[in-house]
Amino acid sequence: MDLLDNLMLGLATAATLQNLMYCFVGVFLGTFIGVLPGVGPLAAVAMLLPVSFYLPPETALVMLAGVYYGAEYGGSIASILLNIPGTPSASVTCLDGYPMARQGRAGVALFATAMASMTGALFGVVVMVLLSPKLAEFALLFQPAEYFSVMVLGLVAASIVSSSGAVRGLMMVCLGILLGTIGVDVNSGETRFTGGIPQLRDGVSLVVVAMGLFGISEVMVSLRGATQSYAGAGLTGRMLPTRAEWVRSVMPALRGSAIGSFFGTLPGTGQTVASFVGYALEKRVNRNRDQFGKGAIEGVVVPEAANNAAAQTAFIPTLTLGIPGSTTMALMLGALMIHGITPGPRLIAEHPELFWGLVVSFVFGNIFLLVLNIPLIGIWVRLLRVPHHYLYPTVIVLICVGVYSISNALTDVWATLVFGVIGYVLRLFRFEPAPLLIGFVLGPMMEEFFRRAMLLSRGDASVFLTRPGSAALLLAALVLLAASLIPWKRWLMRHNTPQPQDKEA
Amino acid sequence: MRRLTSHLGPILMLAAGLFFAIGALTALELGSFRRMGPGAFPLLVGALLSLLALIGLAQNLRAPVAMGRADPMAVLGVFGGVAAFAFFTPLTGVLPATACAVLVTASVIKGFRWPHRIALAAGVSVGVWLIFVKGLGIPFTAIRGL
Repeated sequence: MDLLDNLMLGLATAATLQNLMYCFVGVFLGTFIGVLPGVGPLAAVAMLLPVSFYLPPETALVMLAGVYYGAEYGGSIASILLNIPGTPSASVTCLDGYPMARQGRAGVALFATAMASMTGALFGVVVMVLLSPKLAEFALLFQPAEYFSVMVLGLVAASIVSSSGAVRGLMMVCLGILLGTIGVDVNSGETRFTGGIPQLRDGVSLVVVAMGLFGISEVMVSLRGATQSYAGAGLTGRMLPTRAEWVRSVMPALRGSAIGSFFGTLPGTGQTVASFVGYALEKRVNRNRDQFGKGAIEGVVVPEAANNAAAQTAFIPTLTLGIPGSTTMALMLGALMIHGITPGPRLIAEHPELFWGLVVSFVFGNIFLLVLNIPLIGIWVRLLRVPHHYLYPTVIVLICVGVYSISNALTDVWATLVFGVIGYVLRLFRFEPAPLLIGFVLGPMMEEFFRRAMLLSRGDASVFLTRPGSAALLLAALVLLAASLIPWKRWLMRHNTPQPQDKEA
Repeated sequence: MRRLTSHLGPILMLAAGLFFAIGALTALELGSFRRMGPGAFPLLVGALLSLLALIGLAQNLRAPVAMGRADPMAVLGVFGGVAAFAFFTPLTGVLPATACAVLVTASVIKGFRWPHRIALAAGVSVGVWLIFVKGLGIPFTAIRGL
């Protein structure tokens, strides 16, 4: 009964006209940005972060979440039509989606994607509803040592999935934590590493770091790149799958959702791993496995169901523990903190309207996505035809205006530029900047818990190993680190066909 | 030469780690284990970063990571665009600065004709006015002196 009350509360929050509208706006903008290659969900959320400061926290989160899963969906459109994944997690969708498009079944592939995404997302929401309150209750037992260790686990997980390898990922995490120490130390009131610049006393702003590292530097990378726009035929042929295709898709969609929900909850793994594992496992169990890679509908359904389920369940650790499962989640966490809400086990109890409102808005958002995408697919396809050189200058200006709008300070714009250049240099040397942002968000909290744990243990550092909860979490981090030495991705994809080679326009 | 530049990545990280570690050691109080000062955590993390950078450097010496190809014109275009925005906003207001930024960034893109660049600049300025000034009501000076 309790659950029903909570869901009613959520409905009351999510179904206000304002929240519905911003949910729609978020999903629409997210899909829009996700369709454009080179600009992923992370940049989408970062760009809309300043706008969200003007909204109440529930509305802001509803909109940002909409942007996030809208962009995930949009990413699959580019994968299917162009064989260019709009988001990393959509790269698996290319394997069967692009062959389907080349067989003239793009409409069917996009429709299947929409249905699978929705199935996955709703499955993920159910998992979130059932699991989050339990996990939050459990996490109330945590002491500072456990909090510190769970953050270590989250950071290790975030760094080992980085494409540049575990050592480089960890370096980025450390750099992020160090950047987070700039400014006034909350315990002693002393300023750290500000170099006498008064604007740095409050620390570096999250928006500045995120926009610089992911907005500006991404545009620098792709501005003159050879990305082509879609020149293929419009969508011809039917949209609706045949009866046989429907029947074939049901079980894969459910299997994908279950796998996705599981991986989404693990900090750091997220959607990319979910869709890879989902696809690889489906290939082992499916009766039509010999058609995989040649345009099998299951090959589109499974990764899409998995990655959308993971997108939803990623909110579980973020909202109940305050540990972001991915970089985008780190940004969400930052948005919450800017609104004065501390994510953690008490969030559900203290801000029930926020948590349950968000949950219900996920359902609305996914319905919007379906409504938006079945009739509007033609528009997205046309958007893919817009030459990219119109896009990038626009993105740059939106970043500038967005950063400037936070506090009408041009120093923020200059600082964003500095982080843009840093991000570009990091990419040049093959350092992926995503873990840096997670370190930056978690760093200050981590230091706080570290110092508190040491105070409670009277200066005995072994507390992190003698408390069983903390020791188990650190052990898990160690196991993850060891596991990162195994080339799992190659192993998983060994039996799968390589991506189609012919990339003609 | 290529090898040397590729090693520069971990070396830069080493420099960053040492900067924070040494900065914490010299300028900040470390405190005791029980009551840690403001310098203790940055010292620990800075040292960890330096250590990781050394491991990364060793890895790189064995098998150098291929560097990405730099595109100075793209960097210049984006840098110029953002700088133009920051420079012109106090002088002219946000909308003319927006148009300048679009023109500067668009000017480095090959095969983008000038009439189209100008049209894009005008269109984006109108868009910014509609979304940020009219829609969100952010108190910008849209055009100075107007």
